[in-house]
Amino acid sequence: MFDFWSIIRRFLYMIFVLWVVATIIFFMFRLMPGSPLTAFIGTTFTDEQHDLLVKRFGLDKSLFEQYTLFLFNTLKGDFGLSFTYNKPVIDMIVEALPNSIILTLFSLIIAYIFGVIAGAYLAWKRDTLIEGISIPIVLTTRSAPEFWLGMIALAFFSFQLDIFPSGGTSAAGVIYETTLSKLTSLHFYYHLILPSLVLALYLQGLPLLLMRSNMLEVMQEDFVTMSKMKGLSSWRIVIYHAARNALLPVATAFTLGVGFAFGGNVVIETVFSWPGLGRLLVFAVSSSDYPLAQGAFIFLTAILIIMNFLADLMYLFLDPRVSYKTKN
Amino acid sequence: MIKELYKIFRENNYATVGVGIYIFFIIIAIFADLIATNDPLRINFSSSGLARNLPPSLEYFLGTTSNGRDIFSQLIYGSRNALAVGLSAALAVAILGTIVGLISGFYGGWIDNLIMRLADIALGLPFLPFVIVLAAFLGPSSWNVVIAIGLLLWPNAGRIIRSQVLTLRERGYIESAKVSGCSNFRIIFMHIAPNILPLSFLYGSIAIGWAILTEASVSFLGFGPSDVISWGYMLQDAYSSQALSLKAYIWFIPPGICIVLMVVAGFFISRGYEEILFPKIKK
Amino acid sequence: MYKKLSAVLVGFISSLLLSFFVSSASAEEIRSMKLWAREQAAGPAPHTAALIIAQTLNELGLDISVNAVPWPQMADQVWYKRLDEDTWDLTMWQMVSRPERSDPDEFTYNLFHSSTADKGYNFIGYVDPAFDALAEKQRVTMDPAARKVLIDKAQQHLADAAANAYLVHPLLNFAYDNSQFKDGSAVEQAGLGIKNIWTYLGIEPINGNQDLVAQSLDEIQAINPFFISGGTDSWITEIVWDRLLRIGPDGTPQPWAAESFNWVNEQTIDVTLRAGMSWHDGKPVTVDDVIFSFEAPMNAEMVPMYSPFVKNIESMESKGNNVVRFNLKSSNAAFLTSSLAKINLVPKHYYEPILQALEGTGNNAETIIEEKRIGSGPFKFVDWRQREQVILERNSDHFNPPKISRWIMKEIPNVEASLGQFRKGEVNFLTDYKGDPAVLANIVEEDGDITLVKSIDVGFQYMAMNHRRAPFDDVNFRRAVSLAIDRDVMVNAAWAGNAVKAGSHVSPALTYYHKDGITEYETGVELAKKILADAGYTVKNGRLHYPEGVAEKH
Repeated sequence: MFDFWSIIRRFLYMIFVLWVVATIIFFMFRLMPGSPLTAFIGTTFTDEQHDLLVKRFGLDKSLFEQYTLFLFNTLKGDFGLSFTYNKPVIDMIVEALPNSIILTLFSLIIAYIFGVIAGAYLAWKRDTLIEGISIPIVLTTRSAPEFWLGMIALAFFSFQLDIFPSGGTSAAGVIYETTLSKLTSLHFYYHLILPSLVLALYLQGLPLLLMRSNMLEVMQEDFVTMSKMKGLSSWRIVIYHAARNALLPVATAFTLGVGFAFGGNVVIETVFSWPGLGRLLVFAVSSSDYPLAQGAFIFLTAILIIMNFLADLMYLFLDPRVSYKTKN
Repeated sequence: MIKELYKIFRENNYATVGVGIYIFFIIIAIFADLIATNDPLRINFSSSGLARNLPPSLEYFLGTTSNGRDIFSQLIYGSRNALAVGLSAALAVAILGTIVGLISGFYGGWIDNLIMRLADIALGLPFLPFVIVLAAFLGPSSWNVVIAIGLLLWPNAGRIIRSQVLTLRERGYIESAKVSGCSNFRIIFMHIAPNILPLSFLYGSIAIGWAILTEASVSFLGFGPSDVISWGYMLQDAYSSQALSLKAYIWFIPPGICIVLMVVAGFFISRGYEEILFPKIKK
Repeated sequence: MYKKLSAVLVGFISSLLLSFFVSSASAEEIRSMKLWAREQAAGPAPHTAALIIAQTLNELGLDISVNAVPWPQMADQVWYKRLDEDTWDLTMWQMVSRPERSDPDEFTYNLFHSSTADKGYNFIGYVDPAFDALAEKQRVTMDPAARKVLIDKAQQHLADAAANAYLVHPLLNFAYDNSQFKDGSAVEQAGLGIKNIWTYLGIEPINGNQDLVAQSLDEIQAINPFFISGGTDSWITEIVWDRLLRIGPDGTPQPWAAESFNWVNEQTIDVTLRAGMSWHDGKPVTVDDVIFSFEAPMNAEMVPMYSPFVKNIESMESKGNNVVRFNLKSSNAAFLTSSLAKINLVPKHYYEPILQALEGTGNNAETIIEEKRIGSGPFKFVDWRQREQVILERNSDHFNPPKISRWIMKEIPNVEASLGQFRKGEVNFLTDYKGDPAVLANIVEEDGDITLVKSIDVGFQYMAMNHRRAPFDDVNFRRAVSLAIDRDVMVNAAWAGNAVKAGSHVSPALTYYHKDGITEYETGVELAKKILADAGYTVKNGRLHYPEGVAEKH
């Protein structure tokens, strides 16, 4: 049985981490070289305008005042106005979020389906030529910088062969009335394929290797050996016994992978002009748009630690051998 | 330790290949001044003006960039940056992870608790976004990646080492060391540490690849230094100078391959090493 | 942070060394300096230029390194920290083309007048009463011929003072797919190229094409008639909202929503509103709307960015028969360009309540986010998906309706992807190309159905020197630095032939005001060395030293 209070405690830790991260990020941005006001410099930029901006951005307040205000507003779910867009940060994040979620989930699902099947297969084919060739290839795909793979994929599949569009979530002029109509449109998925395949190519290594080594481990356990002695065909053993037991760590890795891939998508979003949270962050950081950068970063953090939390819970519920207390 | 390293060579092809690749790059890095035919940052001029986008020739083995810089020499010097970043990141992770794991596992109690909360925070920071913010905060430098890896990736190693320490602590010889009045410091570093060094080594070797890949990504996003030649910088330079449209494959393929080789070598070594550490998987 | 630390260290050590030198030798070594520049991705050509300049200047015995940083850091140093102790020495800078910059007043006055030295755009700290007099006089001189004489003088004055090291006026590269648009139907505007409203109105779609699909490398920040935000944003506001006058293809203001205008005297102008215009919601455009449009920005707290453009207006009155009278505080030769052709006309019935609701909330008109964006311009707003695309459609009721049915702009964050989409036809008008011109030229040749139009930019690229600090307070030193840079190398090497040499802040694109011959000057390292030697500078141990008796700090 799991301990209800330890989950509560874990949850409180999560809030604590979020607070610490928000604080670190807040001060990093305030103490960063460069000024957000430089975006407004122009031949007709006056001193009066400058002072108005300083006041409106709240930069005239003391650092401590700015910090308490920031904490208070963040608690209310108010991340402030973006300096450059003059728009509530939360609106911009909500707009970018679905694109990031879809890209992440889609590529992770492709990667994990492929990885699990291929991993199981390679475990079964242990010590054969196929394994000898496949493992180095898998390791190599994990070693290539994602943006480099993206550049090559773009040059080849889009510009050379013209099979896939080269970026964005739609062709010019296509209007998605709502987020839902976007996410249910085939046109959208056509644009999603190339970036998610590149991402999946990078991501498949982990589940594949994990599945393989778990399989090898499970296959040595007694019940598998027993089944073998009972004369069951080896592929059946793999499917019915070993795979089931080897899947749990992979499922956990998937959950962790969601949180992780989210932050790592930044480069793919840049190469494929994908309007996600990562690009928002890069833009915000390079233009010193503190509220937007803080908002995007806190969101990425929240997703990451929620996923970490879920992975913990999953262990708790799915694996009867691990009691929460001993693990922690 | 040395015996184990020898074992890797003898028994494991992966590790041999990985170490071979490293030795190759280390030699290149050490003798970069001799191998490179040009100053990698110098803008070269030819009789007709800037020596831009030249095809490979005897003077420029891999041609020149859009800024008239020698690609081959950049590739050679890039190995220095990659090794420096990769190895220092490995060192950072191994040292931090080991110390933290040892202390946390050996002392337990509130120290352990505090360290594990710190680990929660480190694991809660999204990695690449954090490096980007760090680069903006500290100014562009390759060391940002090392700092970020040190700050964020120690918990992975730390946690595993901690659990290893927990089991070691209960062993008889530690108990007897305690009874015979050895100081905690001595027990930790003389009796426990040698047993977990292989683990530290494993996590360090994983960090090498991470560091090089991250350095490349950060450079690509424009947060890297512009006066230090790295393979990531080369790729960023090639991309923003439109090497794709120029069909200058000789410019953007080699740095990518070098990165792949270096990172894959790290994977190979850690893999080969893993198989020796946990032999039941292979046997 | 490392840089700060190392700067502190270097500063400490060099001051130790310095004190040694000052006491022992009479000539002081010129300090090591940084040339600030933006990172390569922000513009490969100026980045290359900076590298070449540093390499060249070091041949004079200077020690200059390029410090490439993102805009917020560079501009913070150059702009906000101009008066600090450890401020900048040299920086790359650029002025970009905008329609209102086809009048020379903005550059002549705002960049060099002493009143803008401490906080305005005269960040180089150029202070010269004789020049101030010229800048002020050209502003109130209404006769073009007399003004031309003054602008010529101003250009020569700045050249003699080596106020800036002007490098080039880049060539603007725009291209369109001539299988989708009739070849030659794009309209060139002086100093702006074919990316302008006249093209959007006049370009003829063919072969069943209906849409113009443009592209921007920068992100669109806002589409708001009261907010001057990102550079790309103005391409959109300009065609959704009309102005009384528009800068014509020749660079001069011409009637637009105003049917005509008439100077009653030097400080009074009557403007007649075109009859029969309507807003995108169907309501008629009235004189009241026009007055509201100019009154709203007078509230500098509510509409800060546009307020400088209406500052010179004393009052406005309706004279009946669609006539609005503007009474000015002082005569101003640039009023037509910088005010009447700048202020967006907005419907009072729609925006007045919005502005009133904002009073006292602490937010201003720049934060307006609206579903409907109502103007009277030739294009109506349809949709905007952030970081993806903006869609506008033809306003068929306009007095000058466009031939294309939709104007679409895709936001594509990098040059390579932009070019790829252009080649594939996903984009049919390349409106924002900051990449290598040689690459584009190759593609035009390969592709066969691309029309490439190059035009001289009204803007310019330059290296600025901080006049406040020695040695840049010495005109001889500035001249030497500026003349050491071979402008042919700049044009051919850094800009790959895709620019013309610059000699002043008035582009040759402005044929009337550009001073003939201002770009003809000798350059070279030898010449620079001679100037320095004549002025008493010496080279010792490979490093340049001040003339005897001149000290680093005053």
